Amino acid sequence: MSVVARSDSVVEELQTILGSDYVLTNRSSLFNRARVPAPFPVHRWDEHIADIAVLPETAEQVSEVVKIANAYKIPVVPRAGGTGLSDGAVPVTGGILVDIKRMNKILDIDLVDRTVTVQPGINMLKLNEELRRHGVIYPDDPASYPCSLVGGRIGTGGWSLIGARYGHTRDLVISMQVCLPTGELIEVGDGGGRKIRKSSTGFQLKQLFMGHQGSLGITTEATLELVPRPEAEFAAFFGYPDYETAYKSTGALAKSGLASLAGVVLFDEWKVNYLRRDDEAYIPQPPELRCVVAVAAYGTMAETKPASQAIMSIGKETGGNYLGDEVSQGDWASRHDRYATPLHGRTPDGQVVPMSWHCEDAAITYSALPMVREEWHAIAKRYIDDYGVFDDWGMFAYTNGAHKPWADYLVEIDIGIWEQRLDDAMWDAWVQCKREITEVSLKYGGSITACHGSTREGDAEFVPREMAGGFDVMKKIKRALDPNNIMNPGKNRLDEAYED
Amino acid sequence: MTDIRESGDPAVVADGLQGNGHGPDDLTEGFVAEWRDSAYGCFSSGHKFCREVCPVMQVTRNENHTPTAFHANIVAMEKGHLAVEDVAEDYIHCVQCGACELRCPNTLFTGDFYRHRTRTVDVVKAMRALAVDSGVEQPHWKRWVEATMEAHNEPVVDGVSQERVRDWAEGLDVPIGGETILFVDCEAAFYRTSVARATALVLRNAGVEFGLMQEQWCCGGPAAEMGYVEHARTLAEHNLADWRSVGANRVITLDPHDYIAFTVDYPNYFGDQYDIEILHITELVAELVREGRLSLTQPVERVVTYHDACRLNKRKGIYKSPREILRAIPGLTFKDVDHVTQWSYCSGAGGGMRIERPEIADEIARRRVEKAADLEIDTLVSACVWSERPLAERGADRNPSIEVRDLMELVADAAGLDYGGVQR
Amino acid sequence: MFGFRLQAERPPEPRPVTDGVVMRLDDIYEIDPDRMQVITQQHMPVSDTLRIVDSRWEHLAWMHDHWADNVLSGEGEDQAE
Repeated sequence: MSVVARSDSVVEELQTILGSDYVLTNRSSLFNRARVPAPFPVHRWDEHIADIAVLPETAEQVSEVVKIANAYKIPVVPRAGGTGLSDGAVPVTGGILVDIKRMNKILDIDLVDRTVTVQPGINMLKLNEELRRHGVIYPDDPASYPCSLVGGRIGTGGWSLIGARYGHTRDLVISMQVCLPTGELIEVGDGGGRKIRKSSTGFQLKQLFMGHQGSLGITTEATLELVPRPEAEFAAFFGYPDYETAYKSTGALAKSGLASLAGVVLFDEWKVNYLRRDDEAYIPQPPELRCVVAVAAYGTMAETKPASQAIMSIGKETGGNYLGDEVSQGDWASRHDRYATPLHGRTPDGQVVPMSWHCEDAAITYSALPMVREEWHAIAKRYIDDYGVFDDWGMFAYTNGAHKPWADYLVEIDIGIWEQRLDDAMWDAWVQCKREITEVSLKYGGSITACHGSTREGDAEFVPREMAGGFDVMKKIKRALDPNNIMNPGKNRLDEAYED
Repeated sequence: MTDIRESGDPAVVADGLQGNGHGPDDLTEGFVAEWRDSAYGCFSSGHKFCREVCPVMQVTRNENHTPTAFHANIVAMEKGHLAVEDVAEDYIHCVQCGACELRCPNTLFTGDFYRHRTRTVDVVKAMRALAVDSGVEQPHWKRWVEATMEAHNEPVVDGVSQERVRDWAEGLDVPIGGETILFVDCEAAFYRTSVARATALVLRNAGVEFGLMQEQWCCGGPAAEMGYVEHARTLAEHNLADWRSVGANRVITLDPHDYIAFTVDYPNYFGDQYDIEILHITELVAELVREGRLSLTQPVERVVTYHDACRLNKRKGIYKSPREILRAIPGLTFKDVDHVTQWSYCSGAGGGMRIERPEIADEIARRRVEKAADLEIDTLVSACVWSERPLAERGADRNPSIEVRDLMELVADAAGLDYGGVQR
Repeated sequence: MFGFRLQAERPPEPRPVTDGVVMRLDDIYEIDPDRMQVITQQHMPVSDTLRIVDSRWEHLAWMHDHWADNVLSGEGEDQAE
């Protein structure tokens, strides 16, 4: 494959389309478009580089590149920010990596029909800095808000911290232009109207092109919701003496019926202990503080102020001790940067070491939260004791359903991995740990992944099980849209679609 | 348990022999050993909060130019995948503004706690030095540094020479030497002399005694930024000796690049012996105004916005004093943009960008001017003379044009001082 | 106090706060240096520590303002009936 990809004729054809400045074959260009923040087998880095990286500027250029890939049967790996957590943007079989970061323009702002049309390489924070003067916002708010890009949010089917209020990426994208695996540019939306939010014309194709991890095409343009900029924000953090009380308080808050409720987050005991290591909000907290629940609301002043009062009542009535404005507001604002920093890592004897971070993101029902917590921590402990290069950074449970805080939870366990020590044995141990964690999620009727994706080793093996009959449908669709298996092959076990 | 490499861990030792089949050379090995922890601190995270604040990335959108890549390359070099020849060109693309390393959560959220932060500026400088020491030089930087070592000042205009380093002060009767030295940056001494003259007259007006150096050489900052460490040191040693020879114990800087050189580089060169107090002009002038030693009474009828100089705001956290000064100037309409938003702003003038990649520097400056223009102002005020040339050029290019003034020029205007000099 | 003096940049000695946490500068927590033997601490002058702490709070305030015009309090007037 790489011999064909690197041939002069392929490179020349690409240069004709993009200009030679934007067709990169040198080593540093390829090695720096390999990993994403998820734990990475750094000892096998050279197995995860593309053969060529291209930096297109227009949808037409993307289309031409994909057509060339089909002609030569070369894999294409779409890459937006490279900030995802399930290796969707990591090359596994070489090929042409399509890096869309140059496509970062705002194409149209429509304040009357409340849409903004953008290219996929734009970051949400930068977009919202531009939208602010118009009194509107695009409220897609992951922990990677300052760094992830719209195209990647679509490709991964992103989750937003304030999704209970505003929805997630797939609810906030109205329509988009997609480059199919065979190179055609098509429009998909709810029906055919670019600015229509709800339609029953034809099949619901838009959701098909959400969360496919770049295996069904490349988004080249997207039309997004413009929401009124919030007049008010409210965040409250409550402390609890035990998990049971915090868990019940979470349920009460989530089921409160408040329309401006943006999210409820439950921090378990391990998470609070982890935060005590280096977080100024938690270091001075008394030992009786074992768990925390964070709640946030956004909206007009008229609705958010009464909501804040209801939240304070419910929190206190269900056993929560308000941690104060400084902690609440400071910690809430830091949620947009809540990627774990490496020095949170500790060896078993308490030494600080830089660790990479696995962020689990299963989707679990409320009723199963306590059991998942116990079983996951038991798994983590075994691997920590046996290998000494892992660390348990505790668990969060976040309200998951778009506009539905009463529903399911994104359940996260954060596992630190001492990457400098990684070799094949450690990596295999890590994958095994990951498999055990996934088994628990499926055992309780959950989903492997609420938002990151299921493309990594340790997750992908289970996709057929979780999807059941749906996996056959997935394979048929993949084969129909991508006859040559060039669009991000090797992800989600979809190579099986081609086994005749 | 100290250095992992010494443990003989087979994973680490073996990896160093991958890729091209032989390990990194001695220079690279030393470099990688020194920067390994920093490299993994970024590589093991890789979340890229640095990317959208980077002025270069905003223009090129090329991942090779990210702080992430700057750190990842070191890990790749450790493992034998890349050599300095493969990456040297990528490191041209950095203005060393410090936005990335400040914005990085490893600094912003936990850097103070662990006494361990992201140090992209140092990484870029160190890699550029490795390149130079390995014989991989950038042609325009090489010529710039050679010219600086020859004239002892930077070739900011044709005909720069030591004989002319004090020409800007003609008619001002500024003495040589004394306890307090005013260090007049090369760009102010030779190019935009209005800044030097305005600063001198403002200080005199407020009753601050100061003198000039016997032989003011370039601070050495640019040479250090471009990877010419020995040359930077030579310049620094001269300057410290000059200060000491006239009994100086305090230096006032009027440009942030010098402030950085004297408060970051010089302590690294000289260690505990470095006993010179460094004051930056904006902090000094803000205090003079506060204390009533400087009266700003002449209205300056302009609609202005302030450009936070990167090396003041991002790298030193100095953002209050310039604003305090602007608010004390009568007649001014000051449309501010907060200093956090300005973490992602830059003039493109630093890190040698204008010298080796002028088209990128120009575009960074153009975008900065456009952001100012959005506010409907007539004047962009800066406190960094290096930023003023590129900003003024782009400001003049557009219609309507935007004038670029130095903060000290406006202060002198408000104090009714006629400073003259060449103002561009 | 403004300006740079090398002598003033040296941080005070640490005093213990909790297990693994110390304090040198007022109200600024730090890791117990004994915990940083595998990865060593950097030289960090006082002014750098202060710059980071100030920047953190300024950034958080910026983030609030980025998302909404007003931040409601969980205590005091906003909670009065």
